[in-house]
Amino acid sequence: MVEYFIRRILLTIPTFLGSTFVVFLVVQLAPGGPLEQQIQALKRGAETGGAGLVGEQALPKDAIEELKRFYGFDKPIWQRYLIWLGVMKREAKSYRIEPGKPRLVGENQRLVLVPDGKSFVLRDADDPSKPIGEWKWRAERDEETGATRYRVYLEAYSGILTGDFGRSYRFRKPVMELIAERLPVSVQFGIISFVLSYAISIYLGVQKALRHNTPFDFATSSAVFITYSIPGWAIGAVLLVLLATDRFLPIFPLGGFEDPLYAEMNLLEKIWDRAYHFVLPTLAYTAGSFAVLTMLMKNSLLDTLSSDYIRTAFAKGLREQRVIWLHAMRNSIIPITANIGYVIGVFFAGSYLIERVFDIQGIGQLSFEALVARDYPIVFAFTVISVVVTLIGSILSDLALAIVDPRIRFK
Amino acid sequence: MAETETLAATPSNSASGEEILSIQQRRWRKFRSFKRGYYSMLILVGAYLVSFFLPLLVNNRALVVHYNGQTYFPAFRDLLDLPIVGQLGGTPFISGEELGQVGNKSECNYRALKRQYEAEGKGNYVIMPPYPFGPIEDISVEGNEPFMPPLSRDMFGDMHLFGTDDRGRDVLARMAYGFQISFSFALLVASLSYLIGVPLGALMGYFGRWFDLLMQRFMEIWGSLPFLFLIIIVVSIVRPSFFVLVLLLVIFSWLGIAQQMRAQFYREKTRDYTAAAISIGVPTRKILLKHILPNSLVPIITFFPFAIVGDIGALVSLDFLGFGLAPPTPSWGEMVSIGMENLTSGYWWLVLVPLGALFVTLMLVVFIGEAIREAFDPKTFSRLR
Repeated sequence: MVEYFIRRILLTIPTFLGSTFVVFLVVQLAPGGPLEQQIQALKRGAETGGAGLVGEQALPKDAIEELKRFYGFDKPIWQRYLIWLGVMKREAKSYRIEPGKPRLVGENQRLVLVPDGKSFVLRDADDPSKPIGEWKWRAERDEETGATRYRVYLEAYSGILTGDFGRSYRFRKPVMELIAERLPVSVQFGIISFVLSYAISIYLGVQKALRHNTPFDFATSSAVFITYSIPGWAIGAVLLVLLATDRFLPIFPLGGFEDPLYAEMNLLEKIWDRAYHFVLPTLAYTAGSFAVLTMLMKNSLLDTLSSDYIRTAFAKGLREQRVIWLHAMRNSIIPITANIGYVIGVFFAGSYLIERVFDIQGIGQLSFEALVARDYPIVFAFTVISVVVTLIGSILSDLALAIVDPRIRFK
Repeated sequence: MAETETLAATPSNSASGEEILSIQQRRWRKFRSFKRGYYSMLILVGAYLVSFFLPLLVNNRALVVHYNGQTYFPAFRDLLDLPIVGQLGGTPFISGEELGQVGNKSECNYRALKRQYEAEGKGNYVIMPPYPFGPIEDISVEGNEPFMPPLSRDMFGDMHLFGTDDRGRDVLARMAYGFQISFSFALLVASLSYLIGVPLGALMGYFGRWFDLLMQRFMEIWGSLPFLFLIIIVVSIVRPSFFVLVLLLVIFSWLGIAQQMRAQFYREKTRDYTAAAISIGVPTRKILLKHILPNSLVPIITFFPFAIVGDIGALVSLDFLGFGLAPPTPSWGEMVSIGMENLTSGYWWLVLVPLGALFVTLMLVVFIGEAIREAFDPKTFSRLR
C-alpha cells in the first residue's frame, strides 16, 4: 500500500512536467505572446508620446534586444522552460557596462571593469578590496555596428520550483502577492460551499433513501436534477435578477463582496453585511456541487440497506435510527469520500463565471482577466496551481478511501 | 447483451405462452413506464425536429411573395442554410427593388412590403411566417428598437413576444434559433467525443501495459491543460466558427469517455467468458467488438444525455464570457451577458428568457437521462424494516 502511494507520488512528476511544458510551449509559440505585446505597447507609447517623430521602425533594436533578454527569448525554448522551472540559472540582473566606467548595480554597489592585460577584471568601483559577490562579466558583439560591448550580470536560480512565479505584466507586482490578495475572498466561498454541499447532500441523500419512491423523493429529485443540469452561474444570474433588481424583489445586494462602508462598521454590522452579500453567491456555488453527492449518498445507502447485515440488525430489534446512522452509514459514506481529496481545491475554487455574475474580485476574476489580457506570469501560476491541486487531490482521495474502507487494497 | 442473442434466437411464442422480450425491448418498455422521461423525450425530439423548420416559422423573410404575376419563396432558401452553418443571412437575398420597394437595393424588408402591397391593392401579396421576425435583423430595419420589453408592439403593430435586445433583435427569434444551434452543437460534440473516446478507452483497457501507461500519462497531461486558456488563444487566431468550437470541445471531452471505457474493458477482460473466447482462438478484433464491447456499453450509453447537458452548458458559458460563437449567431449566453451588463437598467427579459430556455432544455434532457439510467439498471432496491 505504501508502495502504491509512493509510486503514485512519483508518477505525478512526469505529469507535472509534461503539462507545464505543454502550456509553456503553447504560450510561447502562440502569436501575441508577451514579447510581441510589450513591443506593441512600446510602439504605441512611442507614437503617442514621442512628438510624432518616433515612428514604427524607430523602436531601437537595443530596446528590442533588451526585451528579448528580459523575457528570455534569446535562448532556445527548452532552456527557457528550464529557467522558468528554476532548475537552470537565469540572469537575474544584467547591465551594460563600459570598461573603466563605474556602473551602479544595486544598493550601494558600483562595479567597474578594469583592464588587466588583454582581458578585464571586475572590481568594486569604490573599494577595490571589497568582494563583488557573484557578479560576472562577459563580452558580446553589437549586431548592428559589429563593435564589442560588455555586460555585467548576476546569475541565480529563480523559477516556480524556488517559489518565484514572476511579476504580473499588468499590475507590475509579484504574482504570489496578487494571488494572496485575492485568496481570502475565494477561500471563504470555497469553504462555506464545501461544508454546505456535503452537509446538505448527506442529510438529503439519507432522507431520500429512507423515503425511496415517495412524493418527497420525487419532488427532491426534480430539485436535485435541476441544480445538476444548470450551470451555477446561470442559477446565480436568475437569482440576482429575481431577488436583487428593482423589477422584482430587491432583497439582496446587486453583487460585490462587501458594502463600500465596510471598514467603518462595527463587528456585528460587519458580520451581518458579509452574510448579506454571501447568500446569493453561496447558493450559486453550492447548487452545482451538491446534486451529484446527494444522488451518490442516496444510492449507496439504498445499496447498503438491502444487505444482510442490516436485515440482521433490524431482526435483533435495534432502533431504526441506530441501524441507519451507526450501521448502514459507515458503509454508505465510502463512495462520498471518493472525492474528498479535492478539498484542497477549495482554496482556489473561485469560479470566474460566478464571480463575474456577482462582481466579486476573487481568484477566478484574476485568472480570467489575466487570460484575456495575456498576463502570462499569472496564467502560468494558475496552471501550476491547478495541476498540483488536481494531482495531489486525486492521491489524497485514494488515501482517504483507503482509510475509511479497510477492504480496499491498492496495488 | 450476449443475452440478447440467445433471447432473440428463442421463438417468441414459446411453450409457456408468455411473451418473451429481448433485453432491448424490456429496456424500452421500462423506459416508457417512466412517464416523466418518456414525455420529456417526446417533447425534446419533437422540438428539435421542428427547429429544423424554424425558417418557415420564425423569420423576417416571407414564405411567399406574389409580385406582378411572379411568385417567390424567400424563406425556403434559409432551410438549407440553417442545419449546415447554423445561422441565417448567408444566403443570397432578393433585393427590395426587385419586388417593388423603390430605392431599396439591399435585402427586401418583407414586413414593409406586405404593408405596401396591402395599401396598393394591386393583387400582389406577401405571406409572412407565423412569427415575422428574424434572429439577426437589427435596428437597421425600420421599426426595430433596442430594449423593447416583452409584449410590446413596434410602430407598425407587430408584437415582440419576448422583447428585443440591445441591437433591436427579437429575443424570441434568437431564443428559438439558439435552441437549434445549442442542441445541434451538443449532439455533435457528444457524438464525436464518443467516437474518439470509446475505441481509445477500449484499447487502453484491453491491451494495458505500456500503451495504457503512456496513454494515461498523456490523458492526465491533456486533462490538466487550462481549457479556457486554449480557447482564448484559438479564438484570437481564428474566427470561432461553429465547427471550430465543436472541435475545441471534442478534444477535451473525449477524455472522460475514454476513462470510463478503459475501466469497463479492464474489468471485462478478466471475466471467464473472455478467457474462454481467447482459449478457443477467437480473433482479438472479434473479442473486442462482439464479446466485450456490448457488455461495456451500458454505463456510457446512460451517460450520453448527461454529456449533452454538459456540452450545452459549456457552450452557453463560453458565449456568456464572449468566447463562443462569433456574432451575430443567435446564442443564449450572449443575450445573458448583455442582460447582466445592464442589470440595473432592468432588462430582466434578456437574462430570464434565454436562461429559462436553457433550464427547460436541460431539464428535459436530464429527465430523459434519468429514465434511461433507470431502464438500463437491472437492480431493484428492496429493503426490510
